[in-house]
Amino acid sequence: MTDLLPQNIHDALAAKAIEHLHPREMIIEVLRAIQDHRGWVPDEGVELAGQILGLTPLQIEEIATFYDKIYRQPVGKRVIHVCDSIACWSRGAENLYLYLQETLGISPGETTQDGTFTLLPTCCLGLCGEAPAMMIGLKAYGRLTRERIDEILATERAEAGA
Amino acid sequence: MPILTIDNQQIEVLKGTNVLEAAKGLGIVIPHFCYHEALGAVGACRLCAMNFVEGPVKGIQMACMIEAKDEMVITTTDQASQEMRARVIEWLMMYHPHDCPVCDEGGECQLQDMTIAGGHDIRRYGGKKRTYSNQDLGPFICHEMNRCIQCYRCVRTYQDYCGGTDFGVLGTNQRVYFGRFRDGRLESPFSGNIVDACPTGVFTDRTFRYRTRYWDIEEAPSVCPHCSLGCAVIPGGRFRELQRVRGGVNKQTNGFFICDRARFGGGYGNHPERPRVPRVDGAQTTWPEALRALRKRITDLVARHGPGAVAFLGSPRASLEANYLLDSWAASLGSRRIAFDSHWQHDRSARVAAGKLGPRAASLEDIRCSDFILMIGVDPLNEAPMLALAVRQAVRRGVRLAVIDPRPVTLPCAAAHLPLAPEALPDVLEALAGGDIRRLGRREAVLLEGILEQLRAAERPVLIGGPDLLGAAGIERLLDTARLLASEHRPCKVMTVLAGPNSFGCGVLARQGPDFEAILNGMLAGEIKALVCLESDPMTGSSDPARTGMALGKLELLAALDYLPTAAAHHAHLFLPTTAVPESAGVYVNNEGRMLLFSSAMDPGTPISVSGGGDHPPRTFLPATPGSEPRPAWATLGHLQGRRLSLRDIRQAIEMEHPNFAGLSSLTTGGEGKRIADISPPPETAPEIPFPHSEGEGTLRLYAMEDFAGSGELAGYASALAPLRPTPFVMLGALDAKQRSLSDGQQVRLRSELGGVGVALRVVPDLPAGIALVPRLRGTALESYVPGRGHYDCQILSEDEEKT
Repeated sequence: MTDLLPQNIHDALAAKAIEHLHPREMIIEVLRAIQDHRGWVPDEGVELAGQILGLTPLQIEEIATFYDKIYRQPVGKRVIHVCDSIACWSRGAENLYLYLQETLGISPGETTQDGTFTLLPTCCLGLCGEAPAMMIGLKAYGRLTRERIDEILATERAEAGA
Repeated sequence: MPILTIDNQQIEVLKGTNVLEAAKGLGIVIPHFCYHEALGAVGACRLCAMNFVEGPVKGIQMACMIEAKDEMVITTTDQASQEMRARVIEWLMMYHPHDCPVCDEGGECQLQDMTIAGGHDIRRYGGKKRTYSNQDLGPFICHEMNRCIQCYRCVRTYQDYCGGTDFGVLGTNQRVYFGRFRDGRLESPFSGNIVDACPTGVFTDRTFRYRTRYWDIEEAPSVCPHCSLGCAVIPGGRFRELQRVRGGVNKQTNGFFICDRARFGGGYGNHPERPRVPRVDGAQTTWPEALRALRKRITDLVARHGPGAVAFLGSPRASLEANYLLDSWAASLGSRRIAFDSHWQHDRSARVAAGKLGPRAASLEDIRCSDFILMIGVDPLNEAPMLALAVRQAVRRGVRLAVIDPRPVTLPCAAAHLPLAPEALPDVLEALAGGDIRRLGRREAVLLEGILEQLRAAERPVLIGGPDLLGAAGIERLLDTARLLASEHRPCKVMTVLAGPNSFGCGVLARQGPDFEAILNGMLAGEIKALVCLESDPMTGSSDPARTGMALGKLELLAALDYLPTAAAHHAHLFLPTTAVPESAGVYVNNEGRMLLFSSAMDPGTPISVSGGGDHPPRTFLPATPGSEPRPAWATLGHLQGRRLSLRDIRQAIEMEHPNFAGLSSLTTGGEGKRIADISPPPETAPEIPFPHSEGEGTLRLYAMEDFAGSGELAGYASALAPLRPTPFVMLGALDAKQRSLSDGQQVRLRSELGGVGVALRVVPDLPAGIALVPRLRGTALESYVPGRGHYDCQILSEDEEKT
């Protein structure tokens, strides 16, 4: 279990679930805890969440697969979510998305060979006012240009490598 | 009630009806997928578009989402709504594969019909299609996700209606997937309903795969014989075998759905060892010869020993008509020795229910619409599965459910469970009826006070009980309790689960007659020389198989009419083959006294899969269909009395003789049936089944209980149900297990008067102390433990203890 969730966090979540009127509401919280620790949520993580919350693995999986920020497959150290919604598209997101693919040498859904970046599309980050936008980890970046992307990637790579 | 106009036709509908249903009432069927009468409207498929011209809402709307209101004027044939439907169906069909020729749903596919009805014919989309990997969903259901149109009906059926938790919807938008977390059998005992609910071929019946096209299958509306609820089913046959069963619609009983035992347990009539030819003294013979022999032997016995030497045994799985003719045959010979169930305790319970239920009987629909439910001594999932679903529908509406039962009553919904020992159940009923509540423990009394309070406050409460733990006396007390709790303004309905599909009808026919125990004593005393069994196997059906076997051995004549390869059929001196339920027409009276007509879907015959052994059937040329000798039991019984009767004649005769069955001859197939008229004379008071206290150190009271797929007689002969049968186990409370140093999952030795068997131990935390439970599992060492006959004294030892 320790490679899925540290014991103290596990115990805290389990204690909270017992008190909770609707443990279902904690699904995201538990999955995020597993993902923060492990980097992604393997099948065993879904089962563990089910055990903690008294739900079936299917009931966890229904939620886990609904959200694109719960990773059910291994990802790189940094996951880039590029907005492909209409506001960003109208500000040239499509070209920037292609630029990211060229620069990183990967297609959407793939991870760079060094395991640093995974590239994924996402629908609307709520940053339409700063379109085109993307998110890396929990950090949002708006008003993207090719140059800004180069800078951001360099910084993120340095941080991830450290 | 609102009156609205659809396509220039006016219709008045009940308040709350949606416009889609209203249109259907006018014969205007608009394509739709997500709407289902039992599941409700969600407006997800966007297909049932209609144009609202006048009234409170205007414009193109989804008809299923709009409640019919006065002054609505709606068109369905205008260009805008037609075009909308054509476009939507085109989107829905965009990814759908062109595999109709190899799809099991082809020919009975709602998607095919709706595509044509919606006006979509030529596919314009030429791009790549989205594809999925399928899952192995077990032995009953095939998965073919590429065909999915995301109507969500399967999830709404499986999770919402049936309460399953291992199947659902995964992913989002383009990746939406209906399946399980991992491959594996769908766990819900109602899983097969997604086959009926799916409008296309995503979920199909695996046991029926690649067998028959819809237009080649012979179907007819029938009634499920697996329990006493009388659910509507539609069996389908081809190549002389029953190939599938699907759910029928009866809004008073099952509604739209059925359980997996009904759906996948229909194969008993295909059994390779089914006896299909008349037999005299072990040798096959012709019908005239067999009938002559039976008549002659019975006449001889009556001449030698008097009419009392011949006894008759009817059956809760035989039709009302056949049971009635058996009764009239016995009467014509002058014998009063006839019982209608070899399990005499079940017989007694059925008589009490038949005699006293009357208008207080709750239908499954009454339960779905109730506002408080108390279940006492009943285990729905194992005894009458669809009852569990009916209860769930009430609970989904927020209705409270209280369960008083020593068994771990598993339900697909939340319930407050009070585990009390069987001998405490009569006290509970007494307390509910106004007796002394303090006779129970303090904790129990407090809980019971709460239940009573809710019972009194409810407007439509229902009490539900079963015969296995309550016995006839308990059933009677349950009915009295309901009577006392009811007032002029507030009814209190009752449902009693009975043993078989026609137990109620048998209860009416039995009147004050003897039970099988009396007949058994007559056989053992040598007074009874002959027993005629109608679709009944006392060897496994009676509550004391060992004594029954001994008694049958003393007979000069054992005659059996049956369609199952039972022990009685095997040992009978004279055997006459009868038709199985899907091959027969007749009437069953379900547990609420509802007369239900079933009709014949197919003719009897040896299945080609049996005679051909999987290959081409033998190339022999005969004038008759091989294995087509079985005849309806009613026809044979008429014949034996020298009467040529039609079913109509028999039904009219029943109506004449038993006025309670009024309306019997005007029943129609596929209808809701008709409740039996109130039966006025109460039955004689049933004898109490004593619950003697066990003696001896370490002795436990062992109760046998029903199992979903393992206990039923018919289910036992249905090979498809094998994956659902558990391996033998015994259940014990946590405290009793601890005292014996036994742990969950451990292999133990169960010792009782029936001998010793090795079984796995299941520790049930709140099972009352001093009690053990075993499921009756046919074909295993637990076969001879019969539910509903009181307890067995037993000991449970670890394997090591046994050796010492």
